[in-house]
Amino acid sequence: MSKILVVEDDPGTASEIEAALVDHGCTVTQAPDGRDGLVKAVSGTFDAIVLDRMLPGTLDGLGLLAALRAAAVQTPVLILSALSAVDERVRGLKAGGDDYLTKPFEALELTARLDVLMRRRTVASQETVLRVGDLEINLLTHTASRAGNVIDLLPREYQLLEYLVRHSGQIVTRTMMFEEVWHYRYGEATNVIDVHISKLRKKLDLPGLVPMIRTLRGSGYVLDAIN
Amino acid sequence: MAQAMFSMRSIELFRTSGFRLALVFLLVFGAAAGALFLFVDWQMQSFLDQRSDEWLTREMQSLQSLSEDAVLSRLAVRSKDPTNAERPFSLFDRSGKLIAGVSLSYPDHAVFDAPFDFADRSAARRDHYRGLLRHRADGTAILVAQSLHEQREFRERLENATLFASLITAVFGLAGAIAVGVGAVRRLDAMSDAAAQIVKGDLKQRLPTGRAGGDIDRLANVVNEMLDEIERLMQEVKGVCDNIAHDMRTPLTRLLASLERARRRATSIDEYHSYVDEALDEIRGILKTFGALLRISEVEDGLRRSGFVDIDVKAIARDAVDFFEPAADESGVALAYHSSNNEPAIISGDPSLIFEAIANLIDNAIKFTPREGRAVVEVEGNGHVVTVTVEDTGIGIRAEDADAVLRRFYRAEKSRHAPGNGLGLSLVSAIARLHGMRLEITTPDIGTRVRLAT
Repeated sequence: MSKILVVEDDPGTASEIEAALVDHGCTVTQAPDGRDGLVKAVSGTFDAIVLDRMLPGTLDGLGLLAALRAAAVQTPVLILSALSAVDERVRGLKAGGDDYLTKPFEALELTARLDVLMRRRTVASQETVLRVGDLEINLLTHTASRAGNVIDLLPREYQLLEYLVRHSGQIVTRTMMFEEVWHYRYGEATNVIDVHISKLRKKLDLPGLVPMIRTLRGSGYVLDAIN
Repeated sequence: MAQAMFSMRSIELFRTSGFRLALVFLLVFGAAAGALFLFVDWQMQSFLDQRSDEWLTREMQSLQSLSEDAVLSRLAVRSKDPTNAERPFSLFDRSGKLIAGVSLSYPDHAVFDAPFDFADRSAARRDHYRGLLRHRADGTAILVAQSLHEQREFRERLENATLFASLITAVFGLAGAIAVGVGAVRRLDAMSDAAAQIVKGDLKQRLPTGRAGGDIDRLANVVNEMLDEIERLMQEVKGVCDNIAHDMRTPLTRLLASLERARRRATSIDEYHSYVDEALDEIRGILKTFGALLRISEVEDGLRRSGFVDIDVKAIARDAVDFFEPAADESGVALAYHSSNNEPAIISGDPSLIFEAIANLIDNAIKFTPREGRAVVEVEGNGHVVTVTVEDTGIGIRAEDADAVLRRFYRAEKSRHAPGNGLGLSLVSAIARLHGMRLEITTPDIGTRVRLAT
């Protein structure tokens, strides 16, 4: 069970976040301001921190983050902000944030991103071949095969598949995929992503094999091998 | 009360630039006319003096060439002829006593051999003369003189005429200045009345303009154009508010109906779930519309310009085409990217916004192009001029809709039933403005051509 610290001053938003995280199976500790947040973040052992960018008092989100990283605490941090401008995002990530989510957001978007952040630390980076069930992708040659059959993929399709495989068993949202593979921010991307996924599915799910990519109502996909 | 009113108005009159200008003109003109008069007077005076001096010298010379007797007889003849009264000749002895000629008194301040002015002191005529006095060999003195009476009268008349003319000019000038000033006060009153009404909220009101097309009219016309623009913007804001209300009411009504239906009909958890999912989709749609509206105003505020970097529009357009290709394929539209060369087209901008703008245009092109159609994204860079053209063979935009489609929530008749919120092109337009680009929509024979150009 993951332990999450939520640093958020608005009680309404804080309880929404807590509810979403508890439903997702996490235990949540709340901190209503920057000082309290910093004390708890340094002393406790959390798997991830959800940090509001705008906090009351002397210590705001980015200040807390800088202090945390200066104290060599490497807990992954997801920054929440009402500011969507690209340079705000860049500033947030430069200050030591691991991901940046613009308010308002859906619960699935928050939990999916947190899962990815917490998992990121455990994936070894030396591997050259990743396997999920009978699917195999080669990180060096950018090729994929399923049950021994080579799958012919376009570069973007490969990138999409690699992202799904790297986070197999986890929910990834359309927005996350779009940001990861296309590197832009575009809120309306969701329907078009669906088309990319369905094309990928057609190539992946060869006749007689079990479908690997599941759609989640709302805005996400999961790649896994059920069997 | 009336007096106070009047004095207040007269102060106002004096303050008008028209009145002041007229007054200044009057003073300058008066000064110039006065200087001209003095110059003419001086010139004339010296001309007349010169003429009489010449005459005096000539006469003196002719007298000097005559013998004593001849002089005496000539003086006698002249003094009897009344036509020569204006030009008397006289001969005086050493003591200044008259010997012959016209009975002038001997001049008080006699000057010899040069013309001088003198007054005749004899009782008969107290006239002023200009004369030339010269000694003769026998000690007598001969005086040749010309009356200044005529000259003085002429001068007097001239002075009177000038004075009268100045008076008339001053009266007319002042009257003109007052007329101009009063006119200006009236116009200002009319304008401030109109402005006061506009301030009260009557936006239909306009400043009055005359037919003359003078400087104040030009100003009034400019202000009126500004008022037209303000009125248009107010209408647009009102239109946007109405549209928001309308566009929100429709999905909210559907949401309400869906929840009511769930309440009435759903008997199992699964059924409830499916109704809740329906409601969630509806709410997501509403939030998306709000999000798009906020994004437009965020972009219009220009805050994002601080995050500008150098970006290659061609690379972004290629990414966008690449991103939409499967979707286009699915809709049976052939989507292609084209450029005449591979040189990057660099502008300063926000890559995600440029992607969003191009993506919106491609999305529209796919949405409004029937199967078997084509959509082409073309990027050309030439120095600082970068153009992005998205052209399709779709249903097109009517020429009269070309401007309206940029308005928030505006949906042309033909597109009313397609999915979307009528905000796409407004957003593209805002992004274009943020990047200093023009957005042009043209309507070729088939389809639509949208062009972004720096």
